Amino acid sequence: MAPGPDPNSIGDGAKRDEATTKVPSKDPKKKDDKKEEDLSEEDLQLKQNLELYVERAQDPNPELQKAALESMSFESLGYRLTGSEGDIGSWGHEYVRNLAGEIAEEYTVRQGEEASIEDLMDLVQQIVAFHMKHNAETEAVDLLMDVEDLDLLLEHVDRANFRRTCNYLTSAAKYLPGPDDMLVLDIAYMIYIKFEEYPNALQIALFLDNMQYVKQVFTSCTDLLRKKQFCYMISRHGITFELDPEMVENDVDREMLQDIVNNTKLSEGYLTLARDIEVMEAKTPEDIYKAHLLDGRASSGPSADSARQNLAATFVNAFVNAGFGQDKLMTVPSDSTSGSAGNWLFKNKEHGKTSAAASLGMILLWDVDAGLTHLDKYFHSNDNPIIAGALLGVGIVNCGIKNDCDPALALLGEYIDKEDSSVRIGAIMGLGIAYAGSQNDQIRSNLSPILNDAKAPLDVIAFAALSLGMIYVGSCNEEVAQSIIFALMDRSEAELGEALTRFLPLGLGLLYLGKQQESVEATAEVSKTFNEKIRKYCDMTLLSCAYAGTGNVLKVQDLLAQCGEHLEKGDIHQGPAVLGLAMVAMSEELGLDMAIRSLERVLQYGEQNVRRAVPLALGLLCISNPKVTVMDTLSRLSHDTDSEVAMSAIVSLGLIGAGTNNARIAGMLRNLSSYYYKDASLLFCVRIAQGLVHMGKGLLTLSPFHSERLLLSPTALAGIVTLLHSCLDMKSIILGKYHYVLYFLVLAMQPRMMLTVDENLKPISVPVRVGQAVDVVGQAGRPKTITGFQTHSTPVLLAAGERAELATDKYIPLSPILEGFIILKENPDYREE
Amino acid sequence: MLTVSVKWQKKVFEGIEIDPTLPPYVFKAQLYDLTGVPPERQKIMVKGGLLKDDADWSAIGVKDGQKLMMMGTADEIVKAPEKAIVFAEDLPEEEQATHLGYSAGLVNLGNTCYMNSTVQCLKSVPELKSALSNYALTGRSADVDQTSHMLTVATRELFGDLDRSVNAVSPTQFWMILRKKFPQFSQLQNGMHMQQDAEECWTQLLYTLSQSLKAPTSSEDSDAVKALFGVNLRSRVHCQESGEESSETESVYSLKCHISHEVNHLHEGLKHGLKGELEKTSPALGRTALYLKESLIDSLPRYLTVQFVRFFWKRETNQKAKILRKVDYPLELDIFDLCSEELRKKLEAPRQKLRDEEGKKLGLQPKSTSKDSDVKMTDAEASSKESGESSTVTQPEGGSSEKGTLHMTGIYDLVSVLTHKGRSADSGHYVAWVKQESGKWIQYDDSHPSLQREEDITKLSGGGDWHMAYIIMYKARFVSM
Repeated sequence: MAPGPDPNSIGDGAKRDEATTKVPSKDPKKKDDKKEEDLSEEDLQLKQNLELYVERAQDPNPELQKAALESMSFESLGYRLTGSEGDIGSWGHEYVRNLAGEIAEEYTVRQGEEASIEDLMDLVQQIVAFHMKHNAETEAVDLLMDVEDLDLLLEHVDRANFRRTCNYLTSAAKYLPGPDDMLVLDIAYMIYIKFEEYPNALQIALFLDNMQYVKQVFTSCTDLLRKKQFCYMISRHGITFELDPEMVENDVDREMLQDIVNNTKLSEGYLTLARDIEVMEAKTPEDIYKAHLLDGRASSGPSADSARQNLAATFVNAFVNAGFGQDKLMTVPSDSTSGSAGNWLFKNKEHGKTSAAASLGMILLWDVDAGLTHLDKYFHSNDNPIIAGALLGVGIVNCGIKNDCDPALALLGEYIDKEDSSVRIGAIMGLGIAYAGSQNDQIRSNLSPILNDAKAPLDVIAFAALSLGMIYVGSCNEEVAQSIIFALMDRSEAELGEALTRFLPLGLGLLYLGKQQESVEATAEVSKTFNEKIRKYCDMTLLSCAYAGTGNVLKVQDLLAQCGEHLEKGDIHQGPAVLGLAMVAMSEELGLDMAIRSLERVLQYGEQNVRRAVPLALGLLCISNPKVTVMDTLSRLSHDTDSEVAMSAIVSLGLIGAGTNNARIAGMLRNLSSYYYKDASLLFCVRIAQGLVHMGKGLLTLSPFHSERLLLSPTALAGIVTLLHSCLDMKSIILGKYHYVLYFLVLAMQPRMMLTVDENLKPISVPVRVGQAVDVVGQAGRPKTITGFQTHSTPVLLAAGERAELATDKYIPLSPILEGFIILKENPDYREE
Repeated sequence: MLTVSVKWQKKVFEGIEIDPTLPPYVFKAQLYDLTGVPPERQKIMVKGGLLKDDADWSAIGVKDGQKLMMMGTADEIVKAPEKAIVFAEDLPEEEQATHLGYSAGLVNLGNTCYMNSTVQCLKSVPELKSALSNYALTGRSADVDQTSHMLTVATRELFGDLDRSVNAVSPTQFWMILRKKFPQFSQLQNGMHMQQDAEECWTQLLYTLSQSLKAPTSSEDSDAVKALFGVNLRSRVHCQESGEESSETESVYSLKCHISHEVNHLHEGLKHGLKGELEKTSPALGRTALYLKESLIDSLPRYLTVQFVRFFWKRETNQKAKILRKVDYPLELDIFDLCSEELRKKLEAPRQKLRDEEGKKLGLQPKSTSKDSDVKMTDAEASSKESGESSTVTQPEGGSSEKGTLHMTGIYDLVSVLTHKGRSADSGHYVAWVKQESGKWIQYDDSHPSLQREEDITKLSGGGDWHMAYIIMYKARFVSM
């Protein structure tokens, strides 16, 4: 066992050796004092051996020294068990630590022999009690994990050490194989509940996706204000959650809390942040392209409208002005001559108009009332692509927002069985976005029949499967799985070769997102019977979805092995395998770095179809977190001779920079826009990436992780993964007529803010320190949790890897995780100086 | 009687009464009074969908005090603009090309970048293009051989294709004829066509064009290529030993920039290139002696081509070696001090005029006052482009009118650069960098044209492994007097 940073331990190795020699050498002497006279023959033998070891330990020959020390250290457990009981700590920490190590080994031996462990457990009790009293929580936890009895911890934690203990437990859980990680988190949850540290308990309950626990948090806590904070935390996680009278008794209070869970105030908070940072002014795509920084370009732009470039501008405009409620293309007042709002819409061609109309939903994101008002006029159009866009827009504007009146379902429900495919897709995709994660039965009964309708076109079926996957994300719902499986089996050979068919296995995979093996097993078995054209694609998608965010090393290896194979042309399953690698490894820093390194190798030795997916995997690993090394790799790949590699690298540059306004990426993309000036497809990708980098004018993030990177929002991940799967066949989907799949990103869009509100939930400004987060798990004392901080006043933006702490004692935050909405309570002990 | 509240946009209308015995249309009419939204545009969300005009209230299950949500506006419905928008993608290919502002690239047919870059550089000379388009299609004059004629026609076709196309053009026909005319370009290595020296391609192509574009009258002045690119040199050949001195004139298509240890700048290289030593039989001494040859420019071309002598035959290794030395060249070149005395005299007046005009542009007080000269100059220049060969400095006084004749100034602006990247002439990669009429610089890397910044063009001066200038072309700056 590695010595932890214990105050008694001495860091450097030589001195520690000395200490180990000293302790056992004292050991027989003590015994000598007591029992000198009545040494049995056996004991005498032991004593002599020990003396010999001590002598040898001082031998100049290092070999001999080592052997002596080893044989000696395994003795102390034996002595302890046979010898006196007394206070275990009286011989110092090193002795206890040594004992703990021996116990762990002895435990495994006895487990093998199925022998009794009672005497060992007595000792464990004492050791744990000792460690917990002496700031060595990490060692106590390690020992208990070794002897598989973590429950013991509950007896020994107290107010002073429970935080450090739980911290260690949660971070250790990331490296444990299932189901041990769940057990560890379970203990952490119970400890938090025991000490009424409800926000942390809730965090773990959400991590475990255990609604029973979430409920318990509400029922254990009696303070209404704290419950409001819980609601903010649930709303950030993006799950659908219904409060019941047991959790909140008072009807009025419950309604108010439910409003918070339903995210109805998200738009307001976001706009508060925008006004505070002074970025309300709408931006045009030209403001983003900054063509004046490139030579001679601005003067002679093409005089005719390019449909492709206008479509790109539509997306850039939508991403950049997302959630601000105003822009300069779509929402400008239409009373000026012949209605300029209509004008931009008609500068998009055919299916482009769908994305243009839907962009209104993005601009008015989260503001349902205003959004519906703006979209209304398009419902009465006689142009099908426009109606489709309006439907999709309704879905987008409702993303993450729940409303009792269910406007999205009421409006879209009527259109899912219309004649025109584009209108149907608009409605279906809109429902998928608006109700992601809701497990809404009514929508299921509406959408499921489409899947098995022999007359429905393939694209409608594909989007229906995808939307069902989103709505039932991570639910393991059998019925939905059955419908999608049947739909897959019904597909003809030719249909299985179509680009959009990939949405069927993807929809299926989303059902099991993050749920690991047991749940997905049955479906994975069925997938073995599929047509070979789709079988492996389905296998890979199911595997990667089921283990998404688990960091399971074995699965990473499985997927890596798939990427290494050199296959015949036309096999498409390696793409999802590469993406899967990123999905599994993305949850935890070390695994993430290893995955990045592995992908570099794959890039060098992999086949072309693998290389095409690598930039996307990198984009997922570093989403909204522009790591310089990854940025450089992607920049290199953006000039690759294979245009599809270049395209995915460019889109990924947008993903890693999403919502950061990163100047370096912006510069790279600007240069790429001049480099690819003549290639309409690549230029389109560059424009999209530029829009992503300036998403929400830098106030948004696409990262599905939140709460100090502990929690993974399933709907957010589902949105990103869907886009990435679409990018595996860029030409047929995004560069074809299904470019609106880009709007799936809305599922992951969240303000990267910290907004403090008072007890009436009105924003208040307080000073906070924002700095790089420091990992303090297992550190001695009370180390600083942030470094290189600056003091700002709220609301503030938090970049990837940053953490905030309150710089005033006047208020007490109701959650220790300072992200999103934070309720502040006045500190009763505060004295003005 | 039920009482509900209705939320519309950001407003809430409280206490609206519903009579369950009347159809919902009546309720909608009530809302019309409140919101101004016509009933057919109202969308009211109730459980399970939208409220239908003829629905049964009891089946909908609206409860007393329930909050309903209504969507709808009285906004004008969007209509498609009467005049449909024409998208660039719908235009025919030729029109798309003009929108881009520069012409297409050339496909590499297997080590043909030497040829592609040469063609791109020469294509940037509009006068050459117009001369080619005047070239008679069918009738070739007797002193032009068949392959030269074919090559000239192929060049014209290729230039035309490049102007019309958006996507890269494949110069297959041109390449075939070029190899037919010059079999040395057909050398094979490992079954592949070998990389060739771009300078050789440039010289040979220009020579062929000069032969075939000569007007049938075969007078010196009507040689279009010579008028555009020809430099007349007057040399003084001097033998130190015997004191003999003679003078000779010659006409060349390019100046050489010799690169030695002292040369850091194009100007120094050019000077170096105009001096030479040669051994020849001295009639006075009756044996071979060393002669010094010093040349000066006697007449200036519209387009001055300079070749950097970067390749030389290395005897030790039996290889063409490359000099990587950095030699700077300016965007604006003044060759006044390389000119002969007579030429300098001719140039003085135009140069003074040019300085005045430039001073005026910078806001300085003009010395001579002809207010409208600026306008005239641009007019004159435009017309000269069409006429092609009417106003070279060799016949400055021959112009029809006194005013508006263009004069050479000895000042040149950089218009194209042909670069080589790599360690030897027979390998590596050639790329053309061409200034467009719009003033933008385009790099033609075979089939891939891309925009470049002007300051990056002067960075192609060598000294590393980056592209380095091999042949550069300057365009004369004229002044009208």
